[in-house]
Amino acid sequence: MTKNIIDINAICHTFADGYIGLKNISVSISKGEFIILAGKNGSGKTTFLRHLNGLLLPDSGVIFVKGLDVSKHLVQTRKTVGMVFQDADTQIVGDTVFDEVAFGLENLKVKRAEINKKVTLILEDLNLFHLKDRSPSTLSGGEKRKLAIAGILVMDPEVIVFDEPFSNLDYPGTIQVLSTIIDLNRSGHTIIIATHDVETVICEATRIIMMEDGQIKKDGTPDCIVKHLESFGVRQPCSSKFGMGLQPWLS
Amino acid sequence: MLHLLDVRCKFLMMCLVSMSMLSAQVFACFFYFLVLLFFFKKTGLNIFATLNSIKYFILFLFFIFAARALALKGDSLFSFYGLSVTKQGLNDGFLVAFRFFLVMLTGLLFSSTTKPSSVKSAVQWFLKPVPFVPEKRVAVMISLSLSFMPVILKQAKEVSEAQKARCGDLQKNPIKRIIRLVLPLLKKTFLSADYLVLAMESRCYSDDRTDPEFTPSGKEFFFFAGSVVLSLSLVCL
Ligand SMILES: Nc1ncnc2c1ncn2[C@@H]1O[C@H](COP(=O)(O)OP(=O)(O)OP(=O)(O)O)[C@@H](O)[C@H]1O
Ligand SMILES: [Mg+2]
Repeated sequence: MTKNIIDINAICHTFADGYIGLKNISVSISKGEFIILAGKNGSGKTTFLRHLNGLLLPDSGVIFVKGLDVSKHLVQTRKTVGMVFQDADTQIVGDTVFDEVAFGLENLKVKRAEINKKVTLILEDLNLFHLKDRSPSTLSGGEKRKLAIAGILVMDPEVIVFDEPFSNLDYPGTIQVLSTIIDLNRSGHTIIIATHDVETVICEATRIIMMEDGQIKKDGTPDCIVKHLESFGVRQPCSSKFGMGLQPWLS
Repeated sequence: MLHLLDVRCKFLMMCLVSMSMLSAQVFACFFYFLVLLFFFKKTGLNIFATLNSIKYFILFLFFIFAARALALKGDSLFSFYGLSVTKQGLNDGFLVAFRFFLVMLTGLLFSSTTKPSSVKSAVQWFLKPVPFVPEKRVAVMISLSLSFMPVILKQAKEVSEAQKARCGDLQKNPIKRIIRLVLPLLKKTFLSADYLVLAMESRCYSDDRTDPEFTPSGKEFFFFAGSVVLSLSLVCL
């Protein structure tokens, strides 16, 4: 219990219109893991991720983040689990890059001097500092995604959840975001990525969870799962298809 | 120079001078116009580009001028179709239009030397002593609309292009066309607002936030005193 950073115990979620989003899901996630959550459109990936951050609450079952019940410790949970959304455009709150990153800290009533220090540090880390006075709407897709990551990184989360981080990105944009994610994992963050394009990240992952119809169908290391990907409507990476094992996507 | 000034000070200066403009006479207006020109030059703003950006407003001023010139009674200069242009009317119309024009230029000078986000901070600061106004929420609302405007405009463009791609522009009835544009746009806006709420909530949004920061340049007193003197002399001249 203390070793796992997230413990999920038999959660179910039914939407207001009666559609069953999640059926009886139980998973444990330990610190430092790099997890791919794969599954086709509508399999419940987004629904599942929103539970980790307390944006949706389960109808039955419990989720523990660092041993605390999510439904009772929302702020604590949201500080531990940061979430990068699928659509980078609509999650931007601030009117300059700097303000956007500062938003989370302002909510936590951090002192202004400390906010300035932390935001500057993060922007420099992610190579965004030269853009700090720009309006977020004028950034490129990759920069926007990185800005969204910066916005949750300042809050110093231990787990970072990405919902389709590579959608709408071109090749350089994908490389930018992917290497940022890999660095985060190396520095000790637990990473969970929902995607239906497994190829980009599979080599870095320590674990793949397959979802279908709101249930977990398979859970294991990439080597074991790779062969089963296509039966769940997820494309198998080329390299493994042609018998070359798993090749890193970044050269 | 104006760029570095504390927003709150700039804000007050703008209000003060604009107010005194309302009772300024022609000579005072010319004097203030020169002062404004000086500041435009100092801050490196191109006055012609600025005038170009408010050209519709200038047209509007011309209408005010014309309406005044025709409506006021007095010594008739010349007349046509039963309407007469009077001397008093011309004078008065010119003065009113000039005042509006100057207030407008003052506002432009303010907005082009100030970042939108610091305007937001200033509004929050001024609203603080006003009871029953949740100033922090107002500030968040301002910054949301600032950052949301481009998103909505982009969506509007997408919707209209998607309709054009399916020959939507064959529809000649303008009202039907507007309805067809507005409904999906509204729906999209509401959806992205829903999404935004989630994004804000996941970053622990609360009303109880860190206060904004102001960086005075140290010359505020000097400038403020200057603008008080200026407005007084505008009223008296
Ligand atoms: N608010 C809601 N009300 C009713 N049904 C919903 C709601 N949100 C999602 N669903 C349904 O739940 C199912 C799972 O949705 P979810 O967004 O989790 O899928 P996903 O795996 O993230 O898909 P994608 O790959 O397209 O992002 C879908 O069939 C969807 O129609
Ligand atoms: Mg999804």
